[in-house]
Amino acid sequence: MTFSLTLTPADLLLMLPELFLTLWLCVILTIDFSLPRFPKRNLAYLSVLGLAVVLANLIWFDRAGMTGTLFNHMFVVDRMAIFFKIFIVVTTILVILASIDYVKRFKFFKGEYYFLVLMSALGMMFMASANDLLSIFITLEFSTFGFYVLVAYLRDDPASNEAGLKFFILGVFAAGLLAYGISLVYGETGKLVLSDIAAAPATPGLIIGYLLIFAALGFKIGAAPFHSWIPDTYHGAPTPVTAFLSIAPKGAAFAILLRLFFISLAAFKPAWVLLLVLASILSMTYGNIVAIAQKNIKRLLAYSGIAQIGNVLIGLAAGTKMGGDAILFYLLTYLFANLGAFAIVIAVGNLINSDEIEDYNGLNRRSPFLAFAMLVFLLSLAGVPPLAGFIGKLYIFIAAIKEGLYVLLIVGLINVVISMYYYLVVVKKMYINEPVDNSPLTVSAPMQAVIYASLAGTLALGIYPQPIIDWVVSATMMFSHIVAPATAVAPSTALPFGG
Amino acid sequence: MTTVPLAAYVAVSAILFATGLIGVLIRRNFIIVLMAVEIMLNAANINLVAFSHYLESMAGQIVALFVIAIAAGEAAVGLAIIIVVFRGKISTNVDEMNLLKW
Repeated sequence: MTFSLTLTPADLLLMLPELFLTLWLCVILTIDFSLPRFPKRNLAYLSVLGLAVVLANLIWFDRAGMTGTLFNHMFVVDRMAIFFKIFIVVTTILVILASIDYVKRFKFFKGEYYFLVLMSALGMMFMASANDLLSIFITLEFSTFGFYVLVAYLRDDPASNEAGLKFFILGVFAAGLLAYGISLVYGETGKLVLSDIAAAPATPGLIIGYLLIFAALGFKIGAAPFHSWIPDTYHGAPTPVTAFLSIAPKGAAFAILLRLFFISLAAFKPAWVLLLVLASILSMTYGNIVAIAQKNIKRLLAYSGIAQIGNVLIGLAAGTKMGGDAILFYLLTYLFANLGAFAIVIAVGNLINSDEIEDYNGLNRRSPFLAFAMLVFLLSLAGVPPLAGFIGKLYIFIAAIKEGLYVLLIVGLINVVISMYYYLVVVKKMYINEPVDNSPLTVSAPMQAVIYASLAGTLALGIYPQPIIDWVVSATMMFSHIVAPATAVAPSTALPFGG
Repeated sequence: MTTVPLAAYVAVSAILFATGLIGVLIRRNFIIVLMAVEIMLNAANINLVAFSHYLESMAGQIVALFVIAIAAGEAAVGLAIIIVVFRGKISTNVDEMNLLKW
């Protein structure tokens, strides 16, 4: 048996965004330790500059239709991988801009913070391209290592340390499950590439292996019943890290889940639909009901995040190409709404040094801009038209109806109503309750840029979603082998969804 | 010389995995929990190498090497976090991590 690894410059071009980002983060680290007087704020702008170049590169790949595989199919570049890479890079840019003011709280290692954020983003970009059980394992751990450190970054804050430790223990536990699951799947099939293991017959070892892999990815996306680390980690971590953690790794993990379920496990669809339906119902219901009781805005958003992931799992449970489209679109709406909400939590936290919901009383009097933006983001998370979240939920629900998953539709709609309650409680506190302190709040320029960008995204996806829908429909073209539903129910909507 | 059957390797690995799993779930000390996770990863390694030998494909052994490397990275990051926590609390007990809760 021989191994041959032939690489041409044309092949390496496929990795250009990752290679450039690797180079750039080395530059950032070198500048940080060799020029101690270089202002840390400029390191943030340098990071954003590098990410902007990567983003332009990815958009060029997408327009040029660049596709291919590298390293014996371990690393794949297709339109879905490019979609998720753009998703991750946009998230990272917004998170870095939102952390500029927060970084002043760190006593040490202010420059390394940006390095670690870029490092995690790089790991997640590789995750979006992982097409092999080995590369799934390595990239998943690569991106998580940065997060272990970032969550515990506030060294003098016991809450941050505790959050880091809890995240770490559950993260490595998930890694153990993943490694053992991979070893079982490898033992039953003798292959590692996702498309090669598809043909294997279902044996007990294979089923246990896949269940372990699903459990590990469930930890990553924070779906119930694997959500236990989410609230504590989100609460204790520095808020920009929480924002990053609540969006980017989930997107990257869904890239892996989509490939795993739609390519490797396409033949076993009837078996896994039930599993995903249960996980989805549990996540939505648990997340929404527990969110009602929260007093801390970061915990509220943590539980709402669990519920949102339950919504995304509906698309996976539908198991069709349209379900895949809906997942991609929903994740985009979640990106802008959730990141915007966290940006406001960061802004308010920087100004009044508190994350308690009580302290949002009368925010409208103190800063009408922050209160209005928060209103828009929360309503989008709840799914109110004409905002992005509404189209996302509609898309997901139509995908479920087409597959006849009415249970998910009913549970989903009940959960929309429950979630409306706790989002509106925050809105009521901001607009109706009297503030304790009337001093106006001012927002710094980078933070304003983040909030305006998130507002623009939320409104644009809600009012004129068509270009983005066309994009996600073409991005998942590789899943068109998953046949359309046999008994398609005509959805009562005027929106021309593809699929 | 008789060869050891594949089933024996898989059985040992399953026992190790179960040991690690139980260790993570019931032990109260973070360092022991970390050791239990390492046992889980090594159970996967035994599986990978055994399967690789019996399937006559090298891929499993390569995966095992990467798992070892990642386990080392995990230990480094994990012990660093445990030291930071220990400085603040003078304890590595799971039950004393009770700052964050509902």
